[in-house]
Amino acid sequence: MTKHSPDLNSLISHIALYDSESSYEQLFKWLFPSLYRFSFCLLKSRELSEEVASDVMISLWKNRQKLLEVENVRVYAFVIARNLSLNALSKHARQELVSIDDIQVEVALDSLNPEQLLINGELKKKLEQATQSLPGKCQLVFKLIKEDGLSYKETASILNISVKTVDAHLVTAVKKLTTILKMEFNLM
Amino acid sequence: MDSNRIIELLARKMANEATSRELEELDELMAIYPDSLYYDEVLKELWANSPKERFSDQVRLHQLFEKHKLKFAEEFDANVQEEEAPVGWFKKYAGVFAIACSLFLICIAALFQLNKKDTDFDTEIVSGKGIRKKIKLPDGTLVWLNAESKLSYDNDLNQKEKRLVYLIGEAFFDVAHQKNRPFIVRTNQISVKVLGTAFNVKAYDKDPVSEATLLRGSIELSVNSMTQQKILLKPSEKFAFRNHKKERSEGKSGFQNGDDVTLKIENIAPVRIAGQDYIEETSWKDDLLVFKNESFEDLKPKLERWFNVRIEIGGSIPKSYRFTGIFKNENITEALTAMQLIKPFHFKLKADDIIIY
Repeated sequence: MTKHSPDLNSLISHIALYDSESSYEQLFKWLFPSLYRFSFCLLKSRELSEEVASDVMISLWKNRQKLLEVENVRVYAFVIARNLSLNALSKHARQELVSIDDIQVEVALDSLNPEQLLINGELKKKLEQATQSLPGKCQLVFKLIKEDGLSYKETASILNISVKTVDAHLVTAVKKLTTILKMEFNLM
Repeated sequence: MDSNRIIELLARKMANEATSRELEELDELMAIYPDSLYYDEVLKELWANSPKERFSDQVRLHQLFEKHKLKFAEEFDANVQEEEAPVGWFKKYAGVFAIACSLFLICIAALFQLNKKDTDFDTEIVSGKGIRKKIKLPDGTLVWLNAESKLSYDNDLNQKEKRLVYLIGEAFFDVAHQKNRPFIVRTNQISVKVLGTAFNVKAYDKDPVSEATLLRGSIELSVNSMTQQKILLKPSEKFAFRNHKKERSEGKSGFQNGDDVTLKIENIAPVRIAGQDYIEETSWKDDLLVFKNESFEDLKPKLERWFNVRIEIGGSIPKSYRFTGIFKNENITEALTAMQLIKPFHFKLKADDIIIY
């Protein structure tokens, strides 16, 4: 994610000081997908996670005058997303609804050429499945670090766990993936 | 368990959290167990190919943003009204403002002695090249001040019968409505009188043309040299005043002819770029530089003010080069590189000087 990241600080100050909607739009486009992915891990519902991500963004906008005081806006946004997702979970706990959209179809996107895709496709699928089968927190840690490029410290404050635990979760996740590899190729 | 240790270290490496000692250790272990190189490769690949799900394309993201904006429309529309209450950051920086203002006052006081012309106002706000500012006047009027512009007014603006401000350069006004208390913007060439509307005034000293563009409400215009003649502007109309005298007197000094001016009123047409409409005259306040079918000559002062640079245009550039476009967060190099796609030219950048050839 960091590869396209705009200058966050200047975006934030434009939003906070000038109410710049165009800067907000950029911030939205940059943060929304990560927030969505994150709350999807917790909620497993496209509609709900979209709503949560959208609510997080608007609360950033509503509180824009205080944004400059926030040390790390990305972590701040993720924490709001976590709280909103948990709220939504407890609210929906009673009325368990399963929509057809919620049935997970994992499509592994690949930038490889077709030949490599054919060779690696099967393995990729297995690895993706393995990621999905990781226990909750472990999966969240893995996703935040891998897909959003967050640091241990940032991940720890988002999930309200210690840095050591983050490390342990990530190691567990990677171990699980390598076990799959081991089975596939009889390595080591 | 070496292989477990390898995995642990690999995980930290991928997360960018491994210390240099751990990285060394990993290298050593990998040398002993070359098979583990494969793990490294696969993990690297896995990390590089993050699934982007349904947000992979900008179009979808744009749709989502529009939906979001629609859902919370009142947040964005309320934007301006919300400002009526004392604004947090405004409060916060009030001290800084006060110091800045008092500094200005000292400067003005110094000017008082030298020059008795601009002495009617006690507050002056100046934005330098490349800087755009948003200000709230004591009566609640919001002013966006474009680069290289100066706004002067009295601090007790709100107590007077007329709210009078003096502008050099360009500014967008969103005037707080007050019945019976007209708001007057005076520039060197024209004056604009309103009760409560949103409009843009452009009156740079260097430009021969002064412009006023009205977005909503109505404004009354008069040219300083012909005070009896009033012009009423309707929404989406633009008034342009061209003083030929000024252009001529630059060439032949001392030649004076008071009547040699052109007044033009036209409708503003939004510029359509990439499926969106932009109003060229007022987009600058949203940090957008919009231009339509303009030559390098027309663009030069705009770009200079926007990017705080000095531009020199070589003689080899054809006059027929015309550009339409919009700049958002680009720096000057990115902007010129983008313009090179439209018409071929070269440019050289040296500190803040740019030579186009």
